[in-house]
Amino acid sequence: MYTPFERDEAFGYRKDSVENKLREGSPVIGVSVEEGLYLLTVCRGQRKVYEIYDRQMFSAIGMQGDIEDVRVSVIQMAHQEGFERSPDDVTLQRLIGFALSRRLKQAFGDILSSSPFVIRALFTELGRTPAQDSFYALNYDGEFRTSTGVAAIAGTALAEDRMLERYGEADVTLSREQVLRRALSAWIAGAQEAFRAGSVSEEAREAENTEEAERALLHDELKTGHIEVGFLERNTQRESRFRLLAPADIAFLNPT
Amino acid sequence: MELKGDLWSLLETSGHPLTQPPPRNPRPADSHAGTGFIDTHGTTVIAVKYNGGVVNVGDRRATANFSVMYDKAEKVLPLDDYILLSVSGSFAKAMEVVRFLRTSFKLYERVYLQSMSLDGKLMELAKVIRAGIPEAMQGIGGFIPILSTFDKERNEGRIFFYDGMGARFESTDFGAAGSGSTHIRGIFDYISKTKKPFHEMTREEALTEALYLLDIAADLDAATGGWHKVLPLAKTISVNGIEDVPESELLELVERIDTSIGQRKRPVTI
Repeated sequence: MYTPFERDEAFGYRKDSVENKLREGSPVIGVSVEEGLYLLTVCRGQRKVYEIYDRQMFSAIGMQGDIEDVRVSVIQMAHQEGFERSPDDVTLQRLIGFALSRRLKQAFGDILSSSPFVIRALFTELGRTPAQDSFYALNYDGEFRTSTGVAAIAGTALAEDRMLERYGEADVTLSREQVLRRALSAWIAGAQEAFRAGSVSEEAREAENTEEAERALLHDELKTGHIEVGFLERNTQRESRFRLLAPADIAFLNPT
Repeated sequence: MELKGDLWSLLETSGHPLTQPPPRNPRPADSHAGTGFIDTHGTTVIAVKYNGGVVNVGDRRATANFSVMYDKAEKVLPLDDYILLSVSGSFAKAMEVVRFLRTSFKLYERVYLQSMSLDGKLMELAKVIRAGIPEAMQGIGGFIPILSTFDKERNEGRIFFYDGMGARFESTDFGAAGSGSTHIRGIFDYISKTKKPFHEMTREEALTEALYLLDIAADLDAATGGWHKVLPLAKTISVNGIEDVPESELLELVERIDTSIGQRKRPVTI
């Protein structure tokens, strides 16, 4: 049996251990505009942006097995709900608030028999207008926060702040090229902050934030990885609103 | 939670009626007295090939015994971007199966990040028909579908039909199901032998023949609706996917057919 103190301590160890693993994860940024919703990230080999249901998609940082577990279980819940009731009843509010969040919280809190999920995920849901779009950032301990317009997840909280600062004011009238350029720039700001957070002091990191360093970081990441953009299209006749943008569609993002 | 990419297993676990055997005797004891339960049926659907794919037509009537329940029923339904299911028989069951298959294909694709193969999709349909046999034996819920698709690998339209047990057959040229289909079966052969095989026809030729066939079915089968009240439903499936035949085109074809067979506005008096 754990005493309350040991329990808190055990939670602390768990938290540190998970946060350490998350730090190096490639950040994800989500933006809502008139055309639809975008999730942008840089993949290192394996795919990172996934469709959940007709109007929902997600991306995450963390351990591949945990991401896969969350991905499949949320897809499964969505389809069962969509069939037994209606596709209109499939909402992130229900999927995350009433199912996923509790499951993650349970795994995190069960210090005796289960290992915590190593995951930080960004879910997004397409509404009829950009004002109805929503983002859910879900943490490994089951905590989640919602937002609209623009949202980011990264290895550290400071990196997430940097991303939102860099992206700036959300503007739904931006074109695809404008949105994605700004999103990629925010990704770089987040990655630069998070990747070095464990080894270099904050002041030193600030000092090193030059345009050249940013270009070098992106260049390094793209040696083994590639930019991935998931898109949920607002107005379409097609059966599926979701698609990953083809490399040709986002070629303008590649550094020259 | 156990992770599954298969909707059927999920529904079995949750106890959804689609996957559960029906109660042994669902009919009330006094069904012979005429108060028995009768489910609504869709009637005639036709699929014929043409040189660019497959055309599907269906009348709009849904009946329960001798009553017309609905005259705007949609019996030609897309399952995904390249598959059409034309349904006859129990309307409730058919609609549920269409929803099941749509969801099942999407679930598979989203979980496994690849589309289910055509053969896999055909097997899913067979599985649902097979599971409905006990109900069908009790006189409710039986339905017979025709599945048409455009096979991009072979670059041609394909038509599959099923029997009540879930056996699947591939047709070379055409398929029909529903109460009116038996009356017109021989006419398909007559057309292919005396004019040309359906798969050599243009879209307009094939559509016209299909509408003639539907008109004959409506004449000979009391449960099949004609088109003088509501136009039939027609969809094509080609390399570009599924498209509705526009109402204006249907109206023009229907009027041309009426003129050619001397259809009069008023009844003929003898």
